[in-house]
Amino acid sequence: MTPDPLMTVRADLHVHTALSPCGDDEMSPPAIVDAALAAGLDVIAVCDHNAAGNTGAVGEAAGSRLTVISGIEITTAEEVHIVGLFPTVTAAANAADEVRETLPVADDDYTRFFGEQYLMSADGTIYGREPRALAMATSLSLDEGVDLIRRYGGLVIAAHIDRPTFGVIAQLGFFPYEAGFDAVELSRHVPAGSPTIDGYAAYGLPVVRSSDSHYLEDVGCVATEFGLTAPTFRELVLALKHREGRVLTDA
Amino acid sequence: MKLESIARELDLTDLTPTLAGAAVAEVTAGYASDLLSDVLANAPEGGVLVTLQVHLNVVAVASHAELSAVIFTSGRAPDSEIVAKAMAEGLHLYATEADTFETVGRLFALGVKGGRDA
Repeated sequence: MTPDPLMTVRADLHVHTALSPCGDDEMSPPAIVDAALAAGLDVIAVCDHNAAGNTGAVGEAAGSRLTVISGIEITTAEEVHIVGLFPTVTAAANAADEVRETLPVADDDYTRFFGEQYLMSADGTIYGREPRALAMATSLSLDEGVDLIRRYGGLVIAAHIDRPTFGVIAQLGFFPYEAGFDAVELSRHVPAGSPTIDGYAAYGLPVVRSSDSHYLEDVGCVATEFGLTAPTFRELVLALKHREGRVLTDA
Repeated sequence: MKLESIARELDLTDLTPTLAGAAVAEVTAGYASDLLSDVLANAPEGGVLVTLQVHLNVVAVASHAELSAVIFTSGRAPDSEIVAKAMAEGLHLYATEADTFETVGRLFALGVKGGRDA
């Protein structure tokens, strides 16, 4: 039997919505989908801070035009950011419920300082506000955060490890090999082809580049190219685990 | 000042009581930070680190920076795996209910200075 041919899939695996307090209010489901398509992306992962309430709406807004993976960006007790990518909207929602539980309730002062946390429907209508203070660190340790994502069948990516704030290396000094990451993410601040990428690759994990977009114009400003038989979560898992010939290249 | 005197003066809980050398380790400098990359870059050799970060990497960073002890503040204490690692590295660990500001102030009053002044 001939294996299915691999297609090149461009993915931006870290995009915020208006649910994140620091996410621009323009980051609505339909606007994100339009921006992703304009940037030539095939896949995006929606990863709001400590929440996943808008991932389903972005997927609905995308329809069959774009693959939307439901994710989360957890702030651990060490103030390390980790990205979790889940097989389904429900898995992400259930994981997010556990994460949100550890956070205090947002009051007016919080909202004034950090910004609104809008829950939106697929057409961009605001239907609610997230009550928990998503900008705060959760009480989950790095190990607990990784375990939580795993329990819901998720992939765990160390977010923007090149950054001086909230990256795992800045916070913890050395890369924690024992944490069990599936991949490491470099931010847009590392130029494509930079020799420093080899240093990050030396951790022995796949390296992805993601936009960490908080504004529409940043969606897809960097991306990762995958060789997959289809733009699906399952295929992404296979690529990150280097199985069945799937490949990952820096775009 | 000797570590054991500091521990007594600040009423610290000794998390590594069976570790030899506490009596002889002389500490003249300290550093306070929760950002371990900063500790790695700036903490003075032989000094004491005051932090509320309790991740395992505290031990790795403190060893690499050749610190003599770590004081965990605000009632935070590392789990037993981390204590065992510190024992293996010869690193003294202490815990206190006092917060970082209070702890550093008391260390300073005992003559333990910041790395640049030590």
